[in-house]
Parts: sequence; C-alpha cells; structure tokens
Amino acid sequence: MSERIYVFKLFERFWHWSQAGLIMFLMLTAFDIHGTYTIFGFEKAVAYHTIAAWSLIGLWVFAIFWHFTTGEWKQYIPTTEKVMAMANYYLFGIFRNAPHPFKLTQLRKHNPLQRLAYLAIMVCVGPLIWVTGVLYLFYDNWAAWGLTALQLEWVATGHIIGAFMMLAFLIAHVYLTTAGHTPMAHIKAMITGWEEVD
Amino acid sequence: MKFTNQLTVGVALSLLASAAFAYDADWKRGRVYYRSVCTSCHAVQPVGTINPSSKTKAEWAAYLKGDKHAKGKDTVKQYVSKAYRASIKSGNKAAEKFAAVPDQELLDDIAAFLTKGAKDGDAPASCN
Amino acid sequence: MPTFMRTTLALCCAGWLAATGPVLADDAKPELKPVKLTTTADHTKFKELQQVFNSGPEVTKACLRCHTEAAGQIHRTKHWKWEYLNPQTGQTLGKKTVVNNFCISVASNEAACNSCHVGYGWKDASFDFKSEENVDCLACHDTTGNYKKPSGLAGNVVTKDMEFPPGSGKILKAIDLSKIAQKVGKSSRDTCGACHFNGGGGDGVKHGDLDSSMSAPEKEVDVHMDATGLDFTCATCHKTSSHDVAGSRYTPTAKDSKGAHLRGKADNGNPATCVACHDNAPHKKEARLNQHAAKIACQTCHIPSFARGGIATKMTWDWSTAGQRDAEGKHITKKDAKGRIIYESRKGDFTLGENVKPEYVWFNGQVTYTLITDKIEKTGQRTPINKIGGSPSDGKSMIWPMKVFRGSQPYDPVNKTLVTPHTAGNDDTGYWKNLDWDKAIAVGMNTSGHPFSGKIDFIKTEMSWPINHMVAPKEKALGCVECHSKDGRLAGIPGIYIPVRDNNKLLDTVGWAIVFLTLLGVFGHATLRIVTARRH
Repeated sequence: MSERIYVFKLFERFWHWSQAGLIMFLMLTAFDIHGTYTIFGFEKAVAYHTIAAWSLIGLWVFAIFWHFTTGEWKQYIPTTEKVMAMANYYLFGIFRNAPHPFKLTQLRKHNPLQRLAYLAIMVCVGPLIWVTGVLYLFYDNWAAWGLTALQLEWVATGHIIGAFMMLAFLIAHVYLTTAGHTPMAHIKAMITGWEEVD
Repeated sequence: MKFTNQLTVGVALSLLASAAFAYDADWKRGRVYYRSVCTSCHAVQPVGTINPSSKTKAEWAAYLKGDKHAKGKDTVKQYVSKAYRASIKSGNKAAEKFAAVPDQELLDDIAAFLTKGAKDGDAPASCN
Repeated sequence: MPTFMRTTLALCCAGWLAATGPVLADDAKPELKPVKLTTTADHTKFKELQQVFNSGPEVTKACLRCHTEAAGQIHRTKHWKWEYLNPQTGQTLGKKTVVNNFCISVASNEAACNSCHVGYGWKDASFDFKSEENVDCLACHDTTGNYKKPSGLAGNVVTKDMEFPPGSGKILKAIDLSKIAQKVGKSSRDTCGACHFNGGGGDGVKHGDLDSSMSAPEKEVDVHMDATGLDFTCATCHKTSSHDVAGSRYTPTAKDSKGAHLRGKADNGNPATCVACHDNAPHKKEARLNQHAAKIACQTCHIPSFARGGIATKMTWDWSTAGQRDAEGKHITKKDAKGRIIYESRKGDFTLGENVKPEYVWFNGQVTYTLITDKIEKTGQRTPINKIGGSPSDGKSMIWPMKVFRGSQPYDPVNKTLVTPHTAGNDDTGYWKNLDWDKAIAVGMNTSGHPFSGKIDFIKTEMSWPINHMVAPKEKALGCVECHSKDGRLAGIPGIYIPVRDNNKLLDTVGWAIVFLTLLGVFGHATLRIVTARRH
C-alpha cells in the first residue's frame, strides 16, 4: 500500500531543526530590536541576535560543506517540470482530494515548487539578510573596507525587507508542511527521516 | 653680637624642628573621611546626619577630647582606628583608601575639618 | 646680659631636643626624614611670609619676590584679562564684554562680579591691567579653604572685621592672610570651584555640571574626581602651562580626532578633552561603540544627566517679572517646597532642576555670541546668547549634550540691542536695590559705552552650555534604548540614521501587509481544506 523512503539524513535533520530554532529566535529578537515589542529590550536583543546570527553562519558553513560533499545541492536545481501541476494541486487538487502530482524519491525529495521556493530563499532572501546583517555587524569597519559611499539606512532597510520576507516564508513553509499526503507526513519525515509515500 | 647670632640660630633651629615634625593636619582628608564614613553611617542611623556647623569649635574640641560616641557607649577614636577602617573597608571606599593612615593623623584631619566647618569656624560646613 | 642670653640659648636647645627627641630615637631605624611629598617648598619656612599682611597685594608682592615671572604670566590669560579674541569668528569675547541671560553683564557691576577676578581692586574701567601686585595668587593657590573674596569689594579681601554693606549690620569676618600665604599649594577643586561652582551668582546656578558637590564628590557624581577614588583635581585635565589653563568655552574642542596625547608630541591639542587620555577608540569590549564615538561626543552617553550632586541648577530666568513689591513696598522672595528660591523681586522668576537630561545638538566647536553691538529682532524664536555651530554634514560636528538656559531679559526695542543693566551696587541706580529699570539700564549702558534709547522691552533668549563634567561611572552610561527608540534622547537630531528611531513607516506597513496576507492565505487555504475534506 505505502512504502517508506529515507529522505532526510541525520545531519540534514539536525541542520533543519537547529536552523529552524535559530531563525525563529532571530525573528523574535529582530522585531524586539525593531521596536515592535519589548521582550529582552534593545540592548540584550542585539546581543542575542548577534550570537544567534553567528551560530547560524557557523551552521551554514557545515551545511554548505555537507551539501557539496554529499551532492545534495542538486536537490535545489530548479526545474519547470510539473511546476504548473504543483500549483494546480495546491490551488485546486488539494481540495478535491486529488492525488499529489509529485512522487518523491531520495534523489528528488523536494517538489518543484519547493525547489523554486528554497532556491529563492537561498539566493535572494538569504544573501540579502546575510550581506546586510554582516555589514550591520561591521559598521565600524566600513571605512577601512573602502565602503565610504554605503549608507546605514540602505543596509538597515535591506535587512528589514529580508526579515519580512523570511517571516512570510516561515509562515507559508510551516503551513505547507501539513500539505503532505497526511497533514503530519512531512513533519514526521523531518523528525525521523522517513517519509511514507503512496 | 656673637650671642645674638647663636640665639637666632637656636630659635631658627627650634622653629624648623617643630615645623618639620609636627603633623600638618589635612582638612580635606578629614572632610572625605567625615562625609564618607561618619555621615554615610549616621545618615541611616536614628541620629541622622550631623553638620559640622551644628557645633562651635569649642564644642567640637570638647567632643573629640571627651571621646564619647553614642553618649559614652563607645569611643569616637574607635571609629577612626585602623581596626575599624579594616573592618568596613570592603564596603567603604574612604576606609579602604585611608586604611594605612596612622590613627592620630586621621583624627587630626577630622579635627581640622570640624574646626574649620564649625558654627564659628572659618568656613561653616554642612554634610554635603 | 650674657647670662640671660645663655639661658635663652639653653632653653631653645632644650626645646629643640624635646622636639627632635622622637626623631633622634627613630634614627636607629633606617627611615628617611619625614618630608612633605606634595611640594618641594614648605612655604611656612619662608621669612617673606612670616608677617602680617594687611591686603591681598601685600601677599602678592611677597610671592613675586621669588616667583618673579608669575604675574607676567597671569597677565596674558583670560583669567586676568577677561577678554578673548575668538580667532574663528573674530569676535571679541571675555567676561568683560559678553552679555548673558543670568546676571547679564559685568560692566558697571565690577565691584560685585569681580570678586571672581584673579586680581585685586577691579572696581571700574580705571583698573590697571599692568599692575603685578594686583594679581591674586591666593585665589588659585589657597589650600586652607579659608580664602574669601566677598562680593562688593572689587575682588579685595577682608583683613579686619567690617560691616558690609555699611549700615547693614552684617559683619564680614577677617581672614588670616599670613596663615593662608604660608599654606599655599597647587590649585584644587576647592579653589577653582570657589568661582566656577558659583557661576551665575550661586552654587550650581550656571553650569549644571559644576557645583559644590564636586569639591569632594562621590564616584556616582564624577568618576574622575571621586574623592575616595581617582581624586582628580580640575588641573589634572585642564593641564596648565605658564599659568594658562587649558580648555575654553569660547573655542571648545567639539571633535578631537588626534588620539591620546603623547608626551612631547608636537601637535598635542587641548589636553582637557576625553580623547586626550582615552584615545579615539576607548571601548575595548564593544567595538561598535567606537563607531558611535565617530559622531557622538563621549559626553553624550557618559553624562546621562547633570546637576546630579544634590544641588539644583537654574534652568530658566525670567527678568520680566522682576520688580514686584509686597503691600509694604518691600522686596519679595518666594521659595519652592524644598526651600529653594524661585522668585526674587530683584531678579524675577526662576525654575530649577536636578538630575536634568541634557538637550542634544550637532556641535562643531564654533560658538558665535550675540554681543551688545549686534542687532536683534524680537520674533517668535528665542534670541541665542551664544549660537552653537554645527551640522551633520560638515565633518567637524559631533552630537553634544547641552544645558540650554532659557530666559527673558531686558533689551532696547528701538536700537534693537541687548542691554547691560547696572544691577549690583549699594547705590541709587542699582536695580537690585531700587528695582528701577530705567535708571539701572541708563547707567549700565553709559558705563559699557553703548547707545540706549530709553525704551525698555523684554526679549526671550537662550544660552547653551556644553556639558563636560559629572562623568558617570561606565555602568551608568546611557543604554542603547535611550536613543534607539521612538522619541528617544536624540529624537530631534537631523541628518543621521538611527535604527529604531528612523524605522521607515512605509516599509513596516508593506512588510506587515505581506506577512498578514500570507497568514490570510494560509488560513483561507487551511479552512478550505478542512471544509472540502468533510465534504468528501
């Protein structure tokens, strides 16, 4: 009836969940710094945000290394195949109990929409946040780096745009984890590594 | 003439000797000790702060000579002693700073401050 | 006769032996002879000073016998001349010339004001600025704390008890100049403070960051002057050379990018700046703060408030309400709940402040005074007594804390100038005695040598005082949120992006709209899924 596929390896799961935790903590402190609410207060929130950011950078170094040594980076190569089918599924099929158009395998564990979304996060939102974030951290070195024309306002604005996009992604992402063949299927897979497929 | 010269030398020597070896009280050090040790404690005790200008020079002199603190329960000198300074120096910067000052010198300093700041002193002073 | 001599000699020797006895006994120990370590000259030993002095100049003459160049050095200083040519603006300043919004001006009030002059006898324009004996050494070099120059005596001292003002029944006590002269030493917080703590006519009135709480302050009040800690005197920072004290409010150093001073370095600038000791990157743990220090003066964060020592400073002074009398025609004094004067007939209304948060401005060190010769217009805006130069983009400005002192003072609405009233003085025209502006201003303007139309109005003015002292311990420096917030301390500072203060409203709106729409989509989608799942 159904088979089980081992899709998420141990490091990948560790990476995913620690990244999830860090990003959520970064979000929490980000909007504290931004003045949206006060939990830690500006000063502490900045300190925590900075620590979490460095932790995430460290995690990414490992993750990038892992992706290239294992060849898993290929999972993010964009494809147009079945993109319309996926969109169609999320917009209509899912309500009609139509079959999931994507058959996941170990070599293709992300559906085409996921590939596109993750790639967009990784090449647009991520770099935006990281570049602006690191510039923010090293504000006092700009002159030494020759970045005399750079304005703090641009960097801050870029960082804030990135934060909103990441928050929106986070919401959509968390929701779509329930859009597997059962609502808990994807989540279980990310915990155990095994995904049940039809 | 010869005798007169000798006399001058004698007077000059005795003047020099007494000037060089008598302790020259430092009212400013007395001021810091009075405010940071005496007043900081008195401020929270039932007695409250005592302004130097609340007594005359004679009254202060008599008080220090009588050496009766808290109506004779203990002595004033005790609170200026090295032992007392050592006992409070962890929480009192003045006691720490002046930890090694001889008792009599510090007492003289305080006396100089009180004499100066007394009601009829050269510069009547409050605690602050 | 020889017997008498011998006896005397024997007595002296006995006295000498008695005095040195303990010392001779101590000779057994290899200890050094006790000496004063703060000076190389014990002035009690100088014959020139072992005499009765009947006036200040007599003491000065004695001083000059050894310190032959001292008076000449003093003659070159602002402390003596009360005159200063600002090389940046070309304005002639100095206490002799400037007009402020406290007691307004010195001209015609010399006898009172000049008790703070480092000289004796400046009672009017006839004062001889070349006189050496009229230099006052003791004002700065007294260590006894007993040296006093009462107001009204033109900087002279009292050597015999005297009634002053005559007929008042008030007795000015004589001071012992001989004792004071024998105890001279280096300047101290007490000597500088005798005038600088009392600027504006009373303790803490003028500066806000200088008052008598700093004569022996606690660490909380001033981390450098802390009497039980670092115990700096004024001259520790205001390093003085040839009697010329470093540091100036006429030409302040707003931005010091020269780093810590090295001995002997040719271009060592003002030694009284923070940077002169702390260098340009003093924050060791938080490098980010060094970047802040490129645009923000150290004082802005490290002096969170002024008048912190328990002594209030004047914040406003309204001369226009002066002159009221009670039913019997007498002068009135009103006090607040704490017993501080808030109204005097001779001065008008005041407000006072303790622990006052400064106001902040871009400041490049250029101060332009409104002088008595400058035309002023009565407009909706306050006339600046001293205009603080600076902008976010001139490369020379830093964000500085200021005490801004606001007032209302008499001016001439026809000639459109400030005026110099005759206030202090035991005479018929002194405002403080007779409360008559017409006479007081006419006499004062005549003395200062400026035209007066006879018409009097009041004009609102403000004067800015850069805050420098009362540096708090580092734990008490401003927290981030004091400025990184809406309506924080730097709310009105233009030309700089401050995160949080300058959050972009449009960006926030769009950002939250996207987040909200995403949530809406998610909930809509989920609801549809649930609904359709039931149907199937």
